[in-house]
Amino acid sequence: MISTFLSHELKAFWRSKNTGKSIVIRVVMGIFIFYLLLNVLVLGFFLDKILDKTFPREDLVVAFCGIILIYYLSDLLMRLQLQDLPTLRVQPYLQLPVKRNSLVKYLAFTALLSVFNLWPFILFVPFVLKIVATDSGGLTALAFIVSIAGLTVFNNYLALYIKRKSNLNGWIFLIVSGVIILVGVSDFYWHLISIRKISYLFFGHLINQPLFALVPVLLGVLMYYLNFLYLKQNLYLEELGSRKASSYKSSTEYPLLNRFGSVGDLAGNEIKLILRNKRSRSALIMGLFFMFYGLIFYTNHLYGEGWRIFVGMFMTGIFIINYGQFMFSWQASHFDGLLVSKVSFSDFLKAKYLLFTVVSTGFFLLTTPYVYFGWQILLIHFIMYVWNIGVNTTLVLFFANRNYKRIDLSKGAAFNWEGVSGNQWILSIPLLLAPYVIYAPFALLGHAGIGLALLAITGIVFIFTRGFWIKQLEADFYTKRYKIAEGFRNK
Amino acid sequence: MIEIKDLKKVYAGVTVVNVPHLEIRKGESVGLVGNNGAGKTTLFRMMLDLIRPETGEVLLNGEVVAGHENWKNYTASYLDEGFLIDYLTPEEYFYFIGGLHQQSRAHVDDFLSGMGDFFNGEILKKGKYIRDLSKGNQCKVGVVSCLLQSPELLMLDEPFANIDPSTQFRLKSILKDLNKNKGVTNLISSHDLNHITDVCDRILLMEKGVIIKDIATSSSTLSELEAYFGVEQG
Repeated sequence: MISTFLSHELKAFWRSKNTGKSIVIRVVMGIFIFYLLLNVLVLGFFLDKILDKTFPREDLVVAFCGIILIYYLSDLLMRLQLQDLPTLRVQPYLQLPVKRNSLVKYLAFTALLSVFNLWPFILFVPFVLKIVATDSGGLTALAFIVSIAGLTVFNNYLALYIKRKSNLNGWIFLIVSGVIILVGVSDFYWHLISIRKISYLFFGHLINQPLFALVPVLLGVLMYYLNFLYLKQNLYLEELGSRKASSYKSSTEYPLLNRFGSVGDLAGNEIKLILRNKRSRSALIMGLFFMFYGLIFYTNHLYGEGWRIFVGMFMTGIFIINYGQFMFSWQASHFDGLLVSKVSFSDFLKAKYLLFTVVSTGFFLLTTPYVYFGWQILLIHFIMYVWNIGVNTTLVLFFANRNYKRIDLSKGAAFNWEGVSGNQWILSIPLLLAPYVIYAPFALLGHAGIGLALLAITGIVFIFTRGFWIKQLEADFYTKRYKIAEGFRNK
Repeated sequence: MIEIKDLKKVYAGVTVVNVPHLEIRKGESVGLVGNNGAGKTTLFRMMLDLIRPETGEVLLNGEVVAGHENWKNYTASYLDEGFLIDYLTPEEYFYFIGGLHQQSRAHVDDFLSGMGDFFNGEILKKGKYIRDLSKGNQCKVGVVSCLLQSPELLMLDEPFANIDPSTQFRLKSILKDLNKNKGVTNLISSHDLNHITDVCDRILLMEKGVIIKDIATSSSTLSELEAYFGVEQG
């Protein structure tokens, strides 16, 4: 039975629209993932050197034993955010004559097939082989590897168990995350406890008593069994699904937008789209994280004015870039409805401009505290803000006319490649290069000020010629609308 | 009202719709029947300028739909859930659609209060987004949003498929009333032969993309259609 499930699973993977469409994306993604793995592998290989630098006064093995538990704590937090529940896929088998036990076993087993379970091995095993094995012998090294495996399994099922529970009650997720963060804070800030000491308490003993390795294994098995029992008792769609019990949803309106008539209505709808759907919401939240970008660049004097343009553009325009690159896919699920309703496409475009302008203004205001690093920074932010709402909005909408991929809004944004096509890669080129094409020649000749002024002027010119661009985009759209609508209909 | 000339759509070498000529006059109530894959929805989509035909054109009130927007002022349609903005509450959606037709909120509220029977207390003020409604209730939202636009031409694709029996009967009487008393042109597809012959006074039967029968509804129409669809009985 399990082998049938597995073959279905493989088919689902290869035949899904997500993976199957574009070879180019798969190759690029493959390289990216390989690069990440390679990075962790290098980290694993040089872990002894890194630990030596970080804790120069400590014994290498003691330091190593100390960080293991810290890793697993942060691992748990990461898993809670990112790891998917392997659940809804059993739906088509529930009513068939398939034994519940084999379904549950399958569900519980496939939960192990997650990248998260690979990291600890890549990270820790090289060190264990290099240092522990030579210091204390093969048996101890084996004990370390076994306990790492045990803890990984334990963490895996613990995270899934918490996630399943929090599907029924959202508070559980918040409380658990809070507790983990509290544990972290009480070590690193308040110094009440020392996770490293606790971690050493166990792994230190492991060196003398390799049999202790059975404790994490036992924990892992216990956690697996708990999951198994829970799944078996709750093999119902409502409890399995990632859909949370919904609270009362009230209607909202944005009085500020009302004065813009139907353009305002459209922009208002899009704000609701962003706030009420998981993927678009995470795009917005990711944008907020970019507000800290400046702290990295402005505190380091290595990065000159050339970098500030880049940083300023990203901080004030991250929403235009991050959200705009997938336009109009966000509205894929009701695109037919928009096409037949009494919405003229120029209004539709004006609403996009309005949305971009409103949100970018918000983001610009959020970056004003960076004036702390000098008024020039604020000036560059303002120039890039003008550039963003002038040039980048039009650029993004031009590429939106060439985007034919549907997006499912209800899925999260992390590791979600749905809707990604060659379009986004191509878009990033003019997005990144255009300001430098104008700025760099002047900066190299020593007239950076003129370069900045030209950037601002270009932005302003684009803002004042919006009507013209809207007409161009509209004409362009009419040549592509059938293709766009058809692509969006393809689930 | 509707004129179709030489309309043809081909998918992967197979002709899915082929209508050399069709005319529907203002005030007619036309039913479209045919088995799955007969091309009903494709025909609807071409009439609404959602897909590009290989050849031919569709004219609404003498104007080609492709490339024009005027027809949107008097045409209301609901083909599937893809027409609904599913992250809005039903109220927000109705206000949005009403707003497109320059209707005030008060006007929309007033209109909706007259729909209480049709909604059967399942739609308004339930605190749900449209995506959380059942398929049948989503269909109710779609149909009412069409009615809200007080159209001259109404196109519905299988409106009876997901709604409960009471709503089916209410919808039938609404459609009849619109047609008889307000002169609305109806174009409705359905698999329910009883309902469609009851509501419509002209039936188009499609098979493999071609309209093979075009009959004015009479007392014998139902049995004629049953004879066609009941392949093995004859």
